Amino acid sequence: MSAALDILGWAALIGGAFFCLVGAIGLNRMPDIFTRMHATSVSDTLGVGLLTLGMLTQTDDWAVAARLLIILIVLYVTGAVASHALARAALHDGNKPLLSGPEGELQEVDCEQIFPELGARLAKPLLSEMAEGAATEAQTRGVPEEDEDLPDNPGEAPR
Amino acid sequence: MFVAAIAGVLGALSLAVVRALLGPTAFDRLLAANSIGTFAIMLLALFGFLTERPEFLDLGITYALLNMIGTLAVLKFFRYGALGFDHREGDTEHKG
Repeated sequence: MSAALDILGWAALIGGAFFCLVGAIGLNRMPDIFTRMHATSVSDTLGVGLLTLGMLTQTDDWAVAARLLIILIVLYVTGAVASHALARAALHDGNKPLLSGPEGELQEVDCEQIFPELGARLAKPLLSEMAEGAATEAQTRGVPEEDEDLPDNPGEAPR
Repeated sequence: MFVAAIAGVLGALSLAVVRALLGPTAFDRLLAANSIGTFAIMLLALFGFLTERPEFLDLGITYALLNMIGTLAVLKFFRYGALGFDHREGDTEHKG
């Protein structure tokens, strides 16, 4: 039993370290921010998951196991949230994804042309969310609303 | 076996540092910083197991929470130019 757990732990730890390395190499070799995020998601999920599994096999203390599970859950949840926010901020800032063209060459693509609704979503909901947030904040604080002149250009590109 | 895993994670950490230093845009650096945080948490946990001092896991939990808050705070700073933005995007310049 112990030998089997040791073998599983070896495999998981080495595999986790391998996937961490793969993600880091991809972080260096990928051409733009979005593909780099794709590469780091490997190390954030498989790498961390396998490393944690390998450490779980090497402990018989339930408190240590619980802490490892907490680390795993926190990393999984916050990794997804941070990636989403990062991708959205990068798109909003005007970074254009690289896609392969007709001859296989990489070219920057204006995703607002391909997905017109995405361009509208990028420009609009930020403003409407902020207006809603301001309204609720004003209600809770008792401050009179003063955002009638909030700039609202739904069709316009963010930058 | 923990030494081998630590060596792998250290290699990944140094590669992420390279990207953080080279990164053409601020978002690349931020992504690399996020990865560095993840690798550092794993390094902390593995080192705790190597030296048989599981107290390092508590540091790892704290660092995981701080890592996410830090990323979101920097993103908010990039978008609004200040941490306490006054929900008027038209007034603030985009930075980053």
